[in-house]
Formats: sequence, C-alpha cells, structure tokens
Amino acid sequence: MNTDVPTTPGPSSGSLLRRSGWRLEKRLEVKPWHEVVTLVGAFIVGLAICSILIAASDKSVVDSYRALFDGAFGSRRAVYETLVQATPLIFTGLAAAFAFRARVWNIGGEGQFFAGAMGAFFVSNLWHAHLPRGVMVPVLFIAAAAAGALWASIAGLLKARYDTNEIITTVMLNFIILLILSYLLGDLWRSPDTFYFQTVTLPESAHLPLIVDGTRLHWGFGIAVAMAVVVHVVLRRTALGYEVRGVGINRTAGSYKGISVPRVTVLVMAISGALAGLAGAAEFSGIHHRLQLDISNNFGFVGIIIALIGRLHPAGVVVSAIAFGALVNGAVTMQIQTGIPAALVDVIQGLSLIFVLSGAVAVRYRLQRTHTDE
Amino acid sequence: MNGSSADSVLLRASGVTKRFPGVVANDNITLDVRRARVHCLLGENGAGKSTLADLFYGVHEPDEGVIELRGEPIHMVSPRDAIAAGIGMVRQHFELVTPMSVLENVVIGTRGEAKVDLRAARDRLRELCDLYGVEVDLDTPVGDLAVGQQQWVEILKALYLGCEVLILDEPTAVLTPEGIERLFATLRRMASEGLTIVLITHKLHEVMEISDDVTVLRRGRVVRTSLTSEVTMADLTRMMVGRDVDLAIDVAETPRGDLVLDVSGLDVATESGRGSLKQVSLRVHEREILGIAGVSGNGQDALFDVLVGMRSADSGRIVVDARDVAELSPAGRLDIGIASVPADRIHQGLMMDFRISENLILGRQRSERFGRRGWLNQKGIGEFADDSFAAFEIAAPSPAHVTRVLSGGNLQKIVMARELAGQPRLLVVHQPTRGLDIGATEYVRRRLVEERDRGAAILLISEDLDELLNLSSRIAVMFDGRIVGEVDRRDATIDRIGLWMAGVSDTPGEALA
Ligand SMILES: Nc1ncnc2c1ncn2[C@@H]1O[C@H](COP(=O)(O)OP(=O)(O)OP(=O)(O)O)[C@@H](O)[C@H]1O
Ligand SMILES: [Mg+2]
Repeated sequence: MNTDVPTTPGPSSGSLLRRSGWRLEKRLEVKPWHEVVTLVGAFIVGLAICSILIAASDKSVVDSYRALFDGAFGSRRAVYETLVQATPLIFTGLAAAFAFRARVWNIGGEGQFFAGAMGAFFVSNLWHAHLPRGVMVPVLFIAAAAAGALWASIAGLLKARYDTNEIITTVMLNFIILLILSYLLGDLWRSPDTFYFQTVTLPESAHLPLIVDGTRLHWGFGIAVAMAVVVHVVLRRTALGYEVRGVGINRTAGSYKGISVPRVTVLVMAISGALAGLAGAAEFSGIHHRLQLDISNNFGFVGIIIALIGRLHPAGVVVSAIAFGALVNGAVTMQIQTGIPAALVDVIQGLSLIFVLSGAVAVRYRLQRTHTDE
Repeated sequence: MNGSSADSVLLRASGVTKRFPGVVANDNITLDVRRARVHCLLGENGAGKSTLADLFYGVHEPDEGVIELRGEPIHMVSPRDAIAAGIGMVRQHFELVTPMSVLENVVIGTRGEAKVDLRAARDRLRELCDLYGVEVDLDTPVGDLAVGQQQWVEILKALYLGCEVLILDEPTAVLTPEGIERLFATLRRMASEGLTIVLITHKLHEVMEISDDVTVLRRGRVVRTSLTSEVTMADLTRMMVGRDVDLAIDVAETPRGDLVLDVSGLDVATESGRGSLKQVSLRVHEREILGIAGVSGNGQDALFDVLVGMRSADSGRIVVDARDVAELSPAGRLDIGIASVPADRIHQGLMMDFRISENLILGRQRSERFGRRGWLNQKGIGEFADDSFAAFEIAAPSPAHVTRVLSGGNLQKIVMARELAGQPRLLVVHQPTRGLDIGATEYVRRRLVEERDRGAAILLISEDLDELLNLSSRIAVMFDGRIVGEVDRRDATIDRIGLWMAGVSDTPGEALA
C-alpha cells in the first residue's frame, strides 16, 4: 500500500548503523523484484520463527518441515491437493486486493463467499433438472458472482450514499448472511433425508469438472488463475482500472478530474463481492456439492491476508494463495507424522503477514556503505 | 576557497554529487554559504536546487563529496541530524499534520522528551511570532489555514527547533505580494540577527531584492556564484537558460467573441466562513482572458471549486454557452469543455503514484483519443506523453517513471500540458505559472495566449500582478468574497488594483469590508 514514509523526523536509522559504516537510504523506486524478495523473505522468516516453537516442543525442526514440505509438494497428489486448497484463497485474495487497490476496505469476503454459494445453490436447485452440464456450471458461477456482488453492493451503496464506514457494514453483513443461511438450512433448504443443517447433494450434472481425474483438483483452480489475469488486465489496461487505482491514490484529484468516487466505490465493491462469490461457487460445486455452514475455512478472512501478502497484485495473490494452500495442506501431514498441531500454520500465516507489512516499509530503503572519511 | 572570507563560511558543499536513476541531480557541486547572509539558489526546473537543499538538510546523503558546517564535515542520515546541527528547512511541499493545530505541529518536531510542556512551548512560540512579526493563531488546525499561512507554520517550526541556517525552497511561490514583502522583511531581520538564509526562487527580481549572494545551477552543475550586487537580471537569465527571455510577452488585442461563461449573483458559503463567495458576477467571452486578482484566501478557491463542479452554489447561476451548468458534475463539466488547473497541484491535480504518462491523461481516460469502449489506448497515451515531454521540456527520465520523482516545476508542467491539450472551451487556471522557471513561465503564458486566440475563454486566477497585467483582457479584483472592481487592461494600473486588493474602493477613504 502507499504508506507514505514521512521524511521530516526521518527513519530512526540512528548512530549505531552509522558507526558500523552503513546507512539507510530512501529508495527512489521499488522494483518488482524487491517485492518478490520481500514476499519470499517474509515466508522464510515466518517459518524460521516457527521453528523456535517447534524446537521448544522438543520436536525435530528438520523432520517437521520435511513433513510439511512432503505434504505440500512431495508427490503429484500432494501438489494437486495444495492447489485445491489454494483455489478459494485466490478468489477471495483477488476480491480483497481489488477493493484495497481503491482503498475500499471490503472485509466482507466471508459473507460474500456464502452469498455466492447460496446463489449457486439457488439456481442449481431451481434448474438442475432442465439444464445440461455444459450450461449448468456456467450459470451456477454467474449466479454466484451476481449474488456476491449484490451482497457486497449493500455496503458499497451505503458507503457511496451515506459515507457509512464499509469496514463495519461489511463485517455486519458477514454475520447477517450466516444467520440467513442457518435459517434456510434449518427450514426451506434442508435436505429431507438428514438431521444435519445441510442441503440435498448437488446432482452430478452441476459438478465442476475435474482437471485431473481421480483427484479433487477441479476447474475452479483454472477459473481462479484466469480471474487473476482478468483482474490484472482490468487494472492496467482499462479506464475502469485506471479509475480504481486513481481513487486509491488520490480521491481528491480524482474527483476534480471527473472521476465519480461514489460510482467507483459501488463498482469496486460489486466486483470484489463477485470475486468472493465465485469462491463460494467453486467450493460448492467443485468440492462439497452441497451447502452447509462449514464450507468455508475462513476463506474470506484469509483472503485479506493473502491480498496484503501478495502486495495487492494479482500475481502476488496467486503466489501467496498457493503458498498458503501448501501450508494448510502440508500441516496435515506434519501433524500426522510429528504430532505438531496444524494450528501452527496460523502462526506462520500471521508472522508472514507481519513481516510482509514491515517489509513493505523496509523495501523503500536500501542499505549502503558510507564512504570512508575517517 | 576564497581566503579572506573562509572563516565566515558557515555551510559548505564540497564536490557534492547526487545521482538518481537516470539523472545526475547534483554534479560535483561546490558552494559556500556565508554566515548571516541571504544566499539565493537559482536555476531551471529540474536543475537540482531542491536536491541540493535536501542534501544540506540530511534528506539524502551525497554519493560523493561532503557537506561541511562551520568548517567540519558533517554526516547527516536524516533531517533529525540536520536539525540537531542547527539546520532548518521549509521544503517545497510542506510536511504538516493537517488535522493538528499550529502549536501541536510545531511541538511535534521536538524529540527526546517524554512529556512536552505545552504552556512553555506556547509562550516561546508567541515570543517568536512577536519577534518576527508572524500572525497566526496557534490553535487553528493547520488544514484550515491558507497555504501561505501554512508556510509560516513551517518557518516557526524551524525557528522553534533552534536553527542557525534556514533553507527555504520556493517559499514565495505560495505567497501574495504582501506576503512576500513580509517574508522578506522577516528574512532581513533574521539575517541581521545572525541567522543564515538559503533561499530558492525562480523570480529574478526577488533574487535582486533579497539576496547577498546568488548561485546559478544548470543541469545539476554550478554555473557561478556571484555577489548579487555584481550581476544583473539579464546576466542571471543567460546563466540559467542560456538565452535571453522576456517574460512580458507580446499580447496583441483581439476582438472578443461570443459570451462563454456567465456567472451571476453567486453565493457560496464555506464551513469556516473564510473564503466564501458573496454575490459574485463575472463574464468571460471567447478569445478573452479575464484575470482575477486578489490576495489569496479571498474566495479564489471557492470560485475555482464552484466553476469546476466540486462545490455547489447556495444561490446564483453559472451559465456556460447559454446552458445552466449548476447540476453538472465535474465529469459533466469536463465533457462540455471546461478544463482547469488547480492551485494545489499535488492534492487536487495529480496522482503522485501514477506513471507520468498516466497523469497526463487524467480526466480524459475515457476520451476517444486515449481509450475505446473502456480500454486504454496505450499507443495514444504514449504518443501524447512524448509530445508533452517535447513541448514542455519535461525533465524526467521517461514517461513511464512514477510521477513522484519529478521536481516541483515539472509537476506543474504535467498539469499544464494535460489541461492545455484538450482544446478547452473554457479554461479556468489558478496560479498557472507557480513554481515554473522563467523559460517554462514564458512558454505557458504564450500557450495561454494561443489558446485564447484559438477561441477559448480563459479565467486566470493569479496572485502575480505582472502576469495579470500582461495577459488579461480585463482584470477583476476579489476581496472578501466579492468582486470589488473590474477594469480594462488598458486602464489598469498596479496602484489601482493594489488598492482594490487591499479592500479600498475607488471612493477615497471608504473601506469595502
Ligand atoms: N526522489 C527522486 N527520484 C528520482 N529523481 C529525482 C528525485 N528527486 C529529484 N529527482 C530528479 O532530479 C532532478 C533535479 O530535481 P530537483 O527537485 O532538485 O529540481 P529543482 O531544481 O528543485 O526543480 P524545480 O524548480 O522544478 O523545483 C530532476 O530531474 C528530478 O526529476
Ligand atoms: Mg524544487
């Protein structure tokens, strides 16, 4: 993000650095490779700090991380499963990144995910008997995007019209949609043949096809990566993307030059919600094949972390989503083989985020040898 | 260096080089600033003045060479080191916390103490204000102050921190003629009390008026340091630009055309009541430049905002080409051909984190030239950027660079290039040449006249009386939100306009406020 580093009081680089013959200097341009280094570095530091936790519990760090790595990338199957885990995170990460680019703080990815899944279920329930698979699946995704967009638009419109704080409204909308869903699952949408709060199983014709037969890797992953490309192209090559970035950089100048900030805000919210909604459709029709309350593993919230770690860049989002997919996936193996709780992954996530964010500031400086004068 | 005066040298740059990607901003600069004198730095936009000042202030460290203070080399890693050494600076773009009060802004710069004694700070500031004749309410949020006033806050900050050298980067760009008078009086008093002043400006007469020494920079190098008394303005121009420049450009009278802008009975209230508009009426025709003179803070900002659609009027009408535009958004007004150059280019005119080429199309990203059905036309954008770079001699490595790296004058050039390119029907410009070097000033003025001759109606809001007298067909004067007088250029005199600006009407002795 555009964290402006004030230059007047200046970075507290201090005399210690100076005495060592090095100095911090403000970097004039942050090149893409700097960002990549920060990202990778943050993960590594996160892992390194967690190794202290592992060592403290008398486990072998090497064995644990080997198990983690094996679980994530050790075999073909493991890789596919990693990508399966990454899929919803790419969508929700893109959703957050797109909104944040315009400095619209959509924290409602979780709710929009459910809105999307519900939209998908709704149309599949309505039409599955009548539509062939080739049509059903796209319709389902469109419905999910529309539902996610609609749900997010509530916050977008409130913000545009009444300047309501979108952080609060989107979080509230998360609660509301979950309550609506539990109501529906307990009543109208509940499958007649079960006690559980869940819907009927989706007929085969509405399942997302698999990329690799015999695995869980479905085309949702392909769609997610495609959406990353689309988001990138929209941001860089279209007038809308130009305006979105502009509103994120300087709203006042944007308004002076005719960009309607309320309009952009509503659009950004809607598009962001649509992307999160797609995650709901992908999980619903690619993995679970029915609706229940636990189809999201906090994907909406983790998406925010993914977006920040990916520096709000679509490629960064894809990379960090896959990295997190790998962590989640590998953690299971690690837990089975070494007994280290998979929750360690959350710690790694959190730490990486902290390091990426501090890295975002650090990357604006470079260390230079001071010329010798003594 | 100069044997006789060596001991009076307070601050010295010795063989200093500073490179940025693609440019050598300072190239082996050697410069002596003598104690208790006013030393001007002069040079074209992008010549490296701000960079040199930043080196003195510890914002950057030189790649080569050293800065010396009182004959000792000093190493500064940040402005904090500079402040500790007694060097203060008012930078070209202020660094104030706008929601905080004047007092808080000044005190925020002090460090080290866990608790700040606000009462003592207030007393000390009052003293400083009295000593140097600064009038500013210490409890006003800085954001509510006019830019000129904000600058005084920056100066107070530097004084409060106890500086011995005060560097001012284009302070007069944001001041009115009276403000400049006051600043100069203050600077002279400071110098006589032993303070050393380094001043950056583009205005030659200011250099002649205030400075003891003057150094001309060109493309990052020192052309020459001279005693001001030993050079003429023409000498300085030649050193700076390499040719003679006459800013009083030849503006032939042209018969004006149809009425374009017709404003009548405009009332605009502002939140603070300062700078509101009261019953403003004015008309601008095709092929006509209407100059608006006035001390800043007398309603110019509100007038600008209401014309471009950023503020709505409480009453009155704005008619453009016989069409009431009251309901039109800023975008709608762009569409009917209203172009505008805001005074505050950084906040209102530019996206500092955009590429330069992107800023050059701001507002026209959906026009046919730069896009098609929502797609940006990269080729068109690139070509336009190249044209603008050539026409305005924009000093930057390439249009793909981020706008942030541009020098102050080059930022202004970006805005001017953008707004002049759209063949506007009505052009509302606020301080169009602020911060431009004389070459660029001449170019922009010439372009404004060209636009006029093409048929545009131009409203020129400026605090530069020379500029107004040179370019305008008619001049109207604003005071306290009203138009207090309007005069044909032929009948305009500086004295008459000056009186109006001070709120004195034509009838002697009667105040307008
Ligand atoms: N942070 C930066 N990164 C890259 N280039 C820079 C940076 N700051 C300045 N430059 C470049 O260095 C050169 C000198 O800039 P500088 O700001 O010192 O000019 P200046 O003499 O103050 O001009 P102006 O009169 O327009 O303010 C310019 O070409 C500018 O683009
Ligand atoms: Mg400058």
